[in-house]
Amino acid sequence: MATTPLQRVEVTPKSFAGLKDTRGESIRRQLASDHGLQVKEVRSIIGYLVKADLAIEQQQQMVTDLFCDPVIEHGSVNESMLNNQELFSERPDVVIQIGFKPGVTDNAAQAGLDGLKTLFPVDANDAAISTTMTYIFYGLSTDIDCDWLATQLHNQMIERVAITNFEDSTSSNWKYLDFPEPTPNQFSTPSIIDLEVSDNELVNISETGLLALNLEEMQAIQAHYRDPEVRESREKENLHPNAPTDVELECLAQTWSEHCKHKIFSANIHHVDNETGEDTHIDSLFKTHIMKPTFDIAEKVDWLLSLFHDNSGVIEWSPEWSLCIKAETHNSPSALDPYGGAMTGIVGVNRDILGTGLGARPIANTDVFCFGPPEYAGKIPGGLFHPSRVFRGVHAGVRAGGNESGIPTVNGAIVFDERYLGKPLVYCGTVGIMPRHLPDGRESHIKTPHPGDIIYMVGGRVGSDGIHGATFSSLELTEESPSSAVQIGDPITQKKMVDMLLQARDEGLIQVITDNGAGGLSSSIGEMAELTGGAKVDLGVIPLKQAGLSSWEILVSESQERMTLGISPKDCAAFEKLAQLHEVEATIVGTFTNSGNFHITHGEQTVALLPIDFMHDGVPQLQLESEWTPPTHKEVVFPLTNPQEKGQILSRLMARPNIASKEWWVRSYDHEVIAQSVIKPFCGVDHDAPGDAAVIAPIHGETQGAVISCGIIPRYSDIDAYAMVAACIDEAVRNAVCVGVDLERMAGLDNFCWPDSIESPKTPDGRYKLAQLVRANRALDDVCRAYQLPCISGKDSMKNDAILDGKKISVPPTLLFTLLGNHHDVRKAVSSDFKESGDVIYIVGQTHQELGASELATLFQDENGGGIGGKIPEIDTTRNLALYRALTAAMGDGLVVSAHDCSDGGFAVALAEACFGAGAGCNIDVSQMYADCKEINNWGVLFGESLGRITVSVKPEKSTAFESAMAGHTCYRLGEVGRDDDIRISNGSETILTASMMELKKSWQSTLNGGDV
Amino acid sequence: MVDIPQVAVLTGFGINCDIETMAVFEMAGAKAHRVHVNSLVNGEDNLDNYHIMAVPGGFSFGDHLGSGRLLGNRLRFGIREQVRKFVKDGKPVIGICNGFQVLVKMGLLPGDDEVSLEQTASLTLNDSGHYEDRWVTLEFNNNSPCVWTKGLQRMRTPVRHGEGKFVVPSPELLDKFEDKQQIVAQYVKSEDEYPSATSEPLPYPTCPNASMRNIAGVCDPSGLVFGLMPHPEANHSKWLGATWTREENGDDWIGEGMAIFNNGVKYAKENLL
Repeated sequence: MATTPLQRVEVTPKSFAGLKDTRGESIRRQLASDHGLQVKEVRSIIGYLVKADLAIEQQQQMVTDLFCDPVIEHGSVNESMLNNQELFSERPDVVIQIGFKPGVTDNAAQAGLDGLKTLFPVDANDAAISTTMTYIFYGLSTDIDCDWLATQLHNQMIERVAITNFEDSTSSNWKYLDFPEPTPNQFSTPSIIDLEVSDNELVNISETGLLALNLEEMQAIQAHYRDPEVRESREKENLHPNAPTDVELECLAQTWSEHCKHKIFSANIHHVDNETGEDTHIDSLFKTHIMKPTFDIAEKVDWLLSLFHDNSGVIEWSPEWSLCIKAETHNSPSALDPYGGAMTGIVGVNRDILGTGLGARPIANTDVFCFGPPEYAGKIPGGLFHPSRVFRGVHAGVRAGGNESGIPTVNGAIVFDERYLGKPLVYCGTVGIMPRHLPDGRESHIKTPHPGDIIYMVGGRVGSDGIHGATFSSLELTEESPSSAVQIGDPITQKKMVDMLLQARDEGLIQVITDNGAGGLSSSIGEMAELTGGAKVDLGVIPLKQAGLSSWEILVSESQERMTLGISPKDCAAFEKLAQLHEVEATIVGTFTNSGNFHITHGEQTVALLPIDFMHDGVPQLQLESEWTPPTHKEVVFPLTNPQEKGQILSRLMARPNIASKEWWVRSYDHEVIAQSVIKPFCGVDHDAPGDAAVIAPIHGETQGAVISCGIIPRYSDIDAYAMVAACIDEAVRNAVCVGVDLERMAGLDNFCWPDSIESPKTPDGRYKLAQLVRANRALDDVCRAYQLPCISGKDSMKNDAILDGKKISVPPTLLFTLLGNHHDVRKAVSSDFKESGDVIYIVGQTHQELGASELATLFQDENGGGIGGKIPEIDTTRNLALYRALTAAMGDGLVVSAHDCSDGGFAVALAEACFGAGAGCNIDVSQMYADCKEINNWGVLFGESLGRITVSVKPEKSTAFESAMAGHTCYRLGEVGRDDDIRISNGSETILTASMMELKKSWQSTLNGGDV
Repeated sequence: MVDIPQVAVLTGFGINCDIETMAVFEMAGAKAHRVHVNSLVNGEDNLDNYHIMAVPGGFSFGDHLGSGRLLGNRLRFGIREQVRKFVKDGKPVIGICNGFQVLVKMGLLPGDDEVSLEQTASLTLNDSGHYEDRWVTLEFNNNSPCVWTKGLQRMRTPVRHGEGKFVVPSPELLDKFEDKQQIVAQYVKSEDEYPSATSEPLPYPTCPNASMRNIAGVCDPSGLVFGLMPHPEANHSKWLGATWTREENGDDWIGEGMAIFNNGVKYAKENLL
């Protein structure tokens, strides 16, 4: 390989009228917008370092036919473009070249290599490509520190940089990156780990090996190797009888990780409530408060097909089709490399869908992010990025992952809070669709594994990237966090694999399938081996990205874009032919058995022999302490204001990042591919008012729809996590009601992101945090039962803390609740925008004085000091559900032209947003809203965040019919959509708020505007 | 079977609008087949078996090395003569979004009478520097020979791209395409009265990518090969419109975008069956 000659190809945009260097220009604009740095001009050169044995004419051809678009670009090979006076006549001030570190996924290079093979019959094993991007700066102030500038343009975790500074540039001493040669991996034969040591030493083994196992777990493993039967079976395979191999220990660490085993949710919790005197034990929050309610609901309905055990939950949506849904978080990787971390998050959850049943097609993504404030001005602890950079990177990663996979991002949210500075939360969700039955008659949500099925690994290869992701995410983030936990996704390799596997599914070739995510092959094969009762795998045949990986590394590597399947021996030929057509690598790696063991060899040698039941059931249950004392907060300080000032407060509220328009960011997600998006992220006359839930009509030409919505409101955790969870679920349901969901067929997903809740010296407040988790789960139980909304899948991420510069930053306890529902007829779906002047405006649902931890309280706290204390929204599920039923029925009868839910910022914000959609103001009298609650004042009416409320508009001629449809429910006629720009809100004869709709809209749109065009 | 046009909808390598593209051809009365590019290269299938070829949208090869470039090369080098024969046989071809980029990069569009597959134009990064999904209004050139857009005036569709800026290196060449009526679709301001298509640059976001002369789609000199950046297949039913909840929809829910596919299928029925 070292002898293969290297060619340097360079490509830069031509300059003719109408064409510009857009890449360079984007960097120039970004430096101006993020740092106020003015640069006269930035130009760009894309570089390809091509290692291949090519004749001179082939070298020329690869430039013109592959790397360079001759209509719009100049290309050269083995010439330094910067020395070309025709192209770069002016001497630049600074030149910065960026390339990947060795071993980091370089998708453009892979595509280039593929293109090279289209042109010439090059030997793939001999050829290699690496890409670089060079930015050439003109008019850069000489006091700019080049190293600082370079840091803004690349991520040192995954990228390298070569800087030509002012001085070098004067002498044309251009700096170039070399080809990133990976250091060869050192294969080491499996080592034996002696566990007959002291307890301290056991803990030490776990910590130094990044195993994330506690003492009890290490002792359970120690005990396993003392079992005479175990010793006997090991001797037969020539394994050390009394001690595990590193392969075994790593495999157990992955399988038993918090990430995979959800040990906190499975723990036995001793819960004490100092408010009520309750003292009780809870045997598994998951079984008690998540599974139990769902199984109870499952006894009453017939459409719940697959619950909890598979990669996603499945519901019957129509007689012909099932839908499934799953959401994951990718928080730790996104903190280290926002782009790669987020991208692998989205393509990873897509694989969960592909790995459900016999394989489902991903058809919609949801993306919910929690970041530090974008304008954060405080000191950023070492090892962290500024929240605005995390935001940009995560957004770009999800954009690339979703768009390139051809899956629309239909719904999402972005939440800001300073406590997400240490660990951003990146939730990625995917909805999938699969036929109820395959052509061969099998139900597609049920896996049909048999001992004897051949195990295939399909898709990408295994590399040293992504080792220890599962265990790493089960630890807090520190400066020493390993870069190997970071990966960049490769959506196109995955897309080819998705196409191929869905065809294989329809041809009846798949018996069992799952994805390779956390824990890699150890988890994917390990989990499926549980179904047949065993598996035998040879690590020596696994295709590798780099030679020399040791056995345990191959087993636990989380390299992306891979699925593991079981194929019946009779179908292997057909399966491999399909793989060949789609140019997807498919390798036989072993066989499913019923031996009772996960038997792993490397070539002839056995390197691991783990009994299946020990792997899956051997982990000891955690015993945890929980103690609830309600927190105290200072009350909100309300200023004295007149109606115009209330209008200005509304304007400032609209500009707060949590409420502000996210349009600039959301537009760069494809939300319409697959041609099914009925209610989109935006609506209204100018397509820029915010939608509530998404509605899709996934079968082309048919009118049955699916509704996807979400709820997330972490700030309520500061007062009570019970209220936080109740509010999340109600928000998701309310959003779905706004578009006319079928309330009889809704399923939920719970995604918990919690700070460390196990009491320890590192976490002295662990009991309180665990009590928050207990209360959160009780709310989930209560509200889901009441709404008949079964959770069909979910996930928890329990270590969202960062210790940086010696300081611990913990995220606020955060639940994302995602809802997937049916829609009877998308032609009757309702959008949030007011439609026409004169339409009648109503509010449905009761308003109470509930401003505790509200967005308004946080605004006043930021502006005037004071606290966020006060009453927090209380849920009345019976009242809400009855009202939701009446409202969706009225929608079915065509009585409602708009519906928008009241959430962050309360009624006034919802009203303003509905006005944006009409391009008009409104005239309303809210006096009736004071009737629901004795203590209520203007602040509560305008900005309180009471649950169960929706702002609705109705055609004047249908208002009587609407009012009778809503009889018996709280439904107040408030006024009408205006003819001019004025928003006027009065309480009887007293005007309480006035504002200009356009001014509010401007304020709402300006905060998160990502950059001018 | 013979009275229904057979459509080859290409797939593979990151094409991702194949399913909806098949759906719209079926709605238009044709039979759509999902054809993997490799099955044409390896000889298991042949374009001769079809009356219409569609190159759908997507992110073939991740848009790396320029959108449409690598898939264009697969076609240009892998099935060059099949493609040339298909067009010379008078069969219609449509490329949408990434498919348009593929046809331009392989030289089939704007193309020439000889179907020489020499690239003369390109599609490059939007001036905004980023990918965008937003709805636009298109206006069609009624003097164009394009068989796909006969009788069409305007259409609302989404654009979903980061590299949709149509560029031609010289104004003279662009004039030539204009003279031959190969400029088929242009972005216009929806509020302006029809006809309003203009070659004067329109501001963002009316022209979402700063395309030269507001060009959204072009055809080859014969009018059989048509490519455009916007996605007419994404407006196959009225309920997919950007503002359909604000409009009177009546009982007919067929979307504006179907007209293009109806035209293509009609042409095939009348001329190729």
